[in-house]
Amino acid sequence: MAQQHGIIVLVDVDNALTDRTLDGNAFWFDNMKFLGSTGEGTEHLVTIVPGTYYSDGSQATEQVLNWLPASLGAVPPTVPRNYLAEQALQTDRDALADLAAVGSGDEAGIGRIKDQVGVNAKQSRAAKGVTTAKVLDATGRVAGQNAAATYNYPAPVITDITGPAVEQQIMYPAQYGSPDMIYDGWYWAATVDTSRPGIYSYTMHIQLHELIEREDGLVWQPVDLTCTSALEIISDPKRNAFTGAGLGVLPIPDLPPAP
Amino acid sequence: MPPKPPSLAVRPVTITAVIDPVAALATGDLDENLYLYDTNRKAGSAGFGTPGLRTRVRKGDTLLWNVIPLECETFVALSGIEIDRRVADPVRKFYPGTDIAFWTATVKRDIVKPVSYRLSFLLGGVADPFTVAAEQALLGADKEA
Repeated sequence: MAQQHGIIVLVDVDNALTDRTLDGNAFWFDNMKFLGSTGEGTEHLVTIVPGTYYSDGSQATEQVLNWLPASLGAVPPTVPRNYLAEQALQTDRDALADLAAVGSGDEAGIGRIKDQVGVNAKQSRAAKGVTTAKVLDATGRVAGQNAAATYNYPAPVITDITGPAVEQQIMYPAQYGSPDMIYDGWYWAATVDTSRPGIYSYTMHIQLHELIEREDGLVWQPVDLTCTSALEIISDPKRNAFTGAGLGVLPIPDLPPAP
Repeated sequence: MPPKPPSLAVRPVTITAVIDPVAALATGDLDENLYLYDTNRKAGSAGFGTPGLRTRVRKGDTLLWNVIPLECETFVALSGIEIDRRVADPVRKFYPGTDIAFWTATVKRDIVKPVSYRLSFLLGGVADPFTVAAEQALLGADKEA
């Protein structure tokens, strides 16, 4: 199967930060339920990896996995990758434009522009991957003076992948940079050795960020947590998901099917 | 000068639909490929990871519905929320500067008995929305409700 597996880890960040654990606060998905993955949408996902060989008996290629963490209760990952950074810049531009129209004695106008600008938070030295200092809320708008109560949770960041599947060299995870590196464009992927059937678990190391109010201002504080998942490598041949047959040429009908 | 928008005192109660759009389109079965979650589990929401999510809310809560697709290349959007408008009147909004939508509503009254509602989604290039067969619900603040 040349197709790549996508695995999403959805984290209830608010509860995970309160509990200081991902137990009960992380939900796993992949796009391989139709091939036999189990535990979709729960904490106990087992991702199926079919294919030590092709249907003609020849040795199959490796499988590629990609992981995408997402936060529940935040701006969803369907917005462009650099969305939060762009939105932070845009709110500054809007405020600057409005500032020009406000007179120097217009206290109400200046107060309104302060609200428009919102607040910024510093990044703790140990924090990884917080896209912007500006604090936005869950609808993508500037969070005001009560930012610490309404802020948008930054996407969880994967910091490492360990465990039996890695130690036993079933998969080789690595962090890759997307072309858009300025804006936190990193993701984790792995290739999987499909020649050794079995169930292999792995541990995902995830960093969340919470907004802490200190005397000198707001700070993004990193919180490092872990959760586990598993791969099940089976000896069924790799097959084409459309035809159910081998990975040869797609059987294209002579005529388009009737509508 | 436009009136100052009221600032949100707290984070909205977010209801997120995770959908495998390719599997739903291939099988025609949305419910088998829909997983609903909310941010109010500790308040007593139930049915996590199923299409039958029951979200515990209070009068005055802000609700926010959004969608996460398991295939980022396939179009998925929440297209409608069928609910008693005396309880909540959801409107579609966009994350500023994008065409990515979310729906939001305020809980207008205390909920004594569970209020059922139904979500509909647009998937891929199919013109007609897919409506979830299972019912979703809002539960009142009282745990007995």
